[in-house]
Amino acid sequence: MNNFRLIVLFFFVVLSVNAQKTVRYDLYVRDTIVNFTGKPKRAIAVNGQIPMPTLTFTEGDIAEIYVHNELEEDTSLHWHGLFLPNKEDGVPNLTQMPIKPHTIHKYTFPIIQNGTHWYHSHTELQEQIGMYGSFVLNKRANDPTFRKGIDDLPTVPVILSEWTDMDPNNVHRLLHNASDWFAIQKGTTQSYSEAIKAGHFKTKVTNEWKRMNAMDVSDVYYDKFLINGKSESQLSQFKSGDKVRLRVSNGGASTNFWLTYAGGKITVVANDGSDVEPVEVDRLLIAASETYDVVVIIPADKTAYEFMATSEDRTKSSSLYIGNGIKQLVDPLPKLKYFEGMKMMNDMMKMNGDLDDMGMSMSLNQMDMNVVMYPEITGEAKGKSDKKMTGDDYNSNKLSDITTLNYAMLKSPMKTTLPKDVPVKELRFELTGNMNRYVWSLDNKVVSETDKILIKKGENVRIVLHNGSMMRHPMHLHGHDFRLLNGQGDYAPLKNVVDIMPMETDTLEFNANVDGDWFFHCHILYHMMSGMGRIFSYENQPPNPLITNPKLAQRKLFADDRMFHFMAENDFATNGNDGEAMYANTRWSIGTEWRLGYNDMHGYEVETHIGRYIGKMQWLMPFVGFDWRYRRMGIDEHEQNLFGQADTKDNRAVFSAGVNYTLPLLIIAQAEIFTDGNLRLQFERKDIPVSKRLRMSLMWNTDKEYMAGLRYIVRRNFGITTHYDSDMGVGFGMSLNY
Amino acid sequence: MNSLKKIMMVALTMLSITKIDAQIKNAKTEVVKIYGNCGMCKSKIEKAGSLKNIAQVSWDKETKMATLSYDASKTNQEEILKRIALAGYDSDVFLAPDKAYSSLDECCQYDREAKVPVKADAKTDAIGMTVVNPSSVSESQKANELQSVFESYFLLKDALIKGEGKLAAENSQKLLTAITAVKMETLSMDVHMVWMKVLNDLTADSKNISATQDIKKQREIFKSLSKNSYELIKVSKFSEPVYYEYCPMADANWLSKESVIKNPYYGSQMLSCGKVVETIK
Ligand SMILES: [Cu+2]
Ligand SMILES: [Cu+2]
Repeated sequence: MNNFRLIVLFFFVVLSVNAQKTVRYDLYVRDTIVNFTGKPKRAIAVNGQIPMPTLTFTEGDIAEIYVHNELEEDTSLHWHGLFLPNKEDGVPNLTQMPIKPHTIHKYTFPIIQNGTHWYHSHTELQEQIGMYGSFVLNKRANDPTFRKGIDDLPTVPVILSEWTDMDPNNVHRLLHNASDWFAIQKGTTQSYSEAIKAGHFKTKVTNEWKRMNAMDVSDVYYDKFLINGKSESQLSQFKSGDKVRLRVSNGGASTNFWLTYAGGKITVVANDGSDVEPVEVDRLLIAASETYDVVVIIPADKTAYEFMATSEDRTKSSSLYIGNGIKQLVDPLPKLKYFEGMKMMNDMMKMNGDLDDMGMSMSLNQMDMNVVMYPEITGEAKGKSDKKMTGDDYNSNKLSDITTLNYAMLKSPMKTTLPKDVPVKELRFELTGNMNRYVWSLDNKVVSETDKILIKKGENVRIVLHNGSMMRHPMHLHGHDFRLLNGQGDYAPLKNVVDIMPMETDTLEFNANVDGDWFFHCHILYHMMSGMGRIFSYENQPPNPLITNPKLAQRKLFADDRMFHFMAENDFATNGNDGEAMYANTRWSIGTEWRLGYNDMHGYEVETHIGRYIGKMQWLMPFVGFDWRYRRMGIDEHEQNLFGQADTKDNRAVFSAGVNYTLPLLIIAQAEIFTDGNLRLQFERKDIPVSKRLRMSLMWNTDKEYMAGLRYIVRRNFGITTHYDSDMGVGFGMSLNY
Repeated sequence: MNSLKKIMMVALTMLSITKIDAQIKNAKTEVVKIYGNCGMCKSKIEKAGSLKNIAQVSWDKETKMATLSYDASKTNQEEILKRIALAGYDSDVFLAPDKAYSSLDECCQYDREAKVPVKADAKTDAIGMTVVNPSSVSESQKANELQSVFESYFLLKDALIKGEGKLAAENSQKLLTAITAVKMETLSMDVHMVWMKVLNDLTADSKNISATQDIKKQREIFKSLSKNSYELIKVSKFSEPVYYEYCPMADANWLSKESVIKNPYYGSQMLSCGKVVETIK
């Protein structure tokens, strides 16, 4: 009986396969040179274009996609938002091995859904330099969910992205080294002098007292933002009265975009590839990797209306003019009021680094703490008010006549309930992170520090996510859509990305219905590469034929977030060389500092520490070290330290053990004991932002050494310095850093 | 003495002109139209368009023509005109954002000849997109007769929320036009009855609002206008859910397409005061 059913099923599958249409694409991945800013730079183009070509299918087709890797490095392609067999998912070292240079890889899967999706490389940072494209799945004409007036509108795929002239590996390295170069480029240093000018000195002190560096809504400075690969473009085929459906995907590596339109309201009709009840808004924020289908109308003759994508940090924007004729511009988004944001963060941040939502249970982007920074909602900067804030003070829809989309407004046109009477597995994750060291994790653990999370086929998985970090994170689940529980009951919208703002808690659930190892991760590229994710693995699943050596694959997968980042700097001054080099990853740091005089009297000194960061905020770092010094004082003079111990500055080669701890005001306290019995306490604060480009450093220790220095940052890796050092006296020089 | 001053002035101007020419390399010069009124416009246009060492704009308020000279290797006409448009001034390439135009000083608010007016039916069209299941299609087609009346009502309400008396008057004028355009014979029986009942008041109220720019007076009249519109929309229905909302402070109601409270009686001072009392579907 059972056998008979199987056979019938088999025939049915074969028959329906035969009835399907196979659609083939060939993608040639090649190195290319682009020029977005006036400087030629390396990028990756597919079939000669950036973004990659739009792939279009109709539900029921079979996709056959041949990837011809003509790069000198590995690649892969992930089909974002698609339901497909795990081995077609395109995550290198997890669902397949990387596509080696000069080889061809075939992806093939049946198209069993419709909607707006996209695709991108899942290999290293290739997504940043061109490997993103639209992936459009049309409904069949006889689809019962076909919506007249929406699904029959003219449609334009729109993929948003960003461009930086900097090599993305360098971007990644600078982020890990807490470089403030991006802040300087964005004009968001938030230094002491700027704070004083804005009447926010106390805000700045409190901020540093709570051990925060200047906070921003974005991590990276970009040279250009792009819509379909261009800063500005026009769709002149449309005329007055036309309605146009834009299938918008955010293919940006780390940028959330505001979408606004000069021709009136924007009607949202789908999200992450699933239909939603039409909802009219003035604007929406599309988080990295989300997709939205929006309908806009051209209200007047001989006019093209600006559809604008502005980066969340509002540094720049990109425009698409819809219509033919004179270009009607949309109001640009005014600059953010950063010190208002800093003040808000101060209120939310507890002394131990945890965030406190002050009893406002936040979810679904309804309350946006950042509204305090939006002049169009909360007015122009107006100094200080000490009014206690309540939930309504962060609800931008209540504060203004601008309607901003939030997740609670999304409603599925049909029921999305999960199978009943199946076991439910509930998982909770806290999104954790630390901007100072650019560590991003779940429950303070990165991918390589955790096991795969086992789930059983058939069960319902419910995930509760709380964002305890200071950045927003678009969390993306591979291979499944989840219901986002947003108060719409049985009609909760289906999504595959949920963007969670700081302090928010969101709940999502899905039915585990397809075997495999599925990645669940933050879609900010640099957060993902830092290890912000987990792998969901189905119990008792058949082995993946593409992973022939699972141990090796896992080691290579984990290598991403275990990667060490290198930095070095040296100050070439009139009185000597001062510098440091550091090699660090998520938990470990190997650092060397040196002070090299130009003669024996000034001395030479090298200190090396190997330490491990402890705790979520990583304020504590125990270390072991080695200290070598040589100096001639002329008359063989010995000194004593503060504890009455003889100083051995003149000739010393000793091991040490000690601990670093970050104090309020970001002062690093260091206690170190040496094998010769000497003890040293040191306090140091580096890089106090005096003005936009001026940094001050201060140091004092119980060996009666002290130092004060100033550095003016001229370029990313070049500065002018002056400092006073108790060993070497006054010096002027220039610093180079990598 | 006076003539000496004049000579000095001329000399200075000459000097500054030559200086400008010297600053911009590979200068390309073009003459384009920029809409504006007065001397204040001139300084705003020139300031917005010029960029040190890259672009120089000089605008003539009589001819409304601007001379652009710019370094063609660094910028182009579009970029300059876009900056000028963002400052509030239309050209034949760009129209300024509405907010930029409306925040110009009164004397600078030139006639927007370049701007093509929005077609009255365009807006109504946008609404037609809302999904309707086949059984309700005929019903919503009938409702369409009054659709533009309600749409104009909502525009008027939005202007009152913003507290813009001038805009409210304009929108009320549109409402009046929409009311007179209704062909009553196409209305269904029950809608027709209510229509006959409220028609006079609706006409009078919208006329009175359009006759003043005093926001206080407009808001007062809006109370009865809202009440009558409510009666009408209850029988005729709208293509999407409409919320009947109440403000206890004004002791008055209004209609809105959004459940989020945005109070037309107080605008920004009491924007979120009020509650939804009924949802009309
Ligand atoms: Cu993705
Ligand atoms: Cu993240």
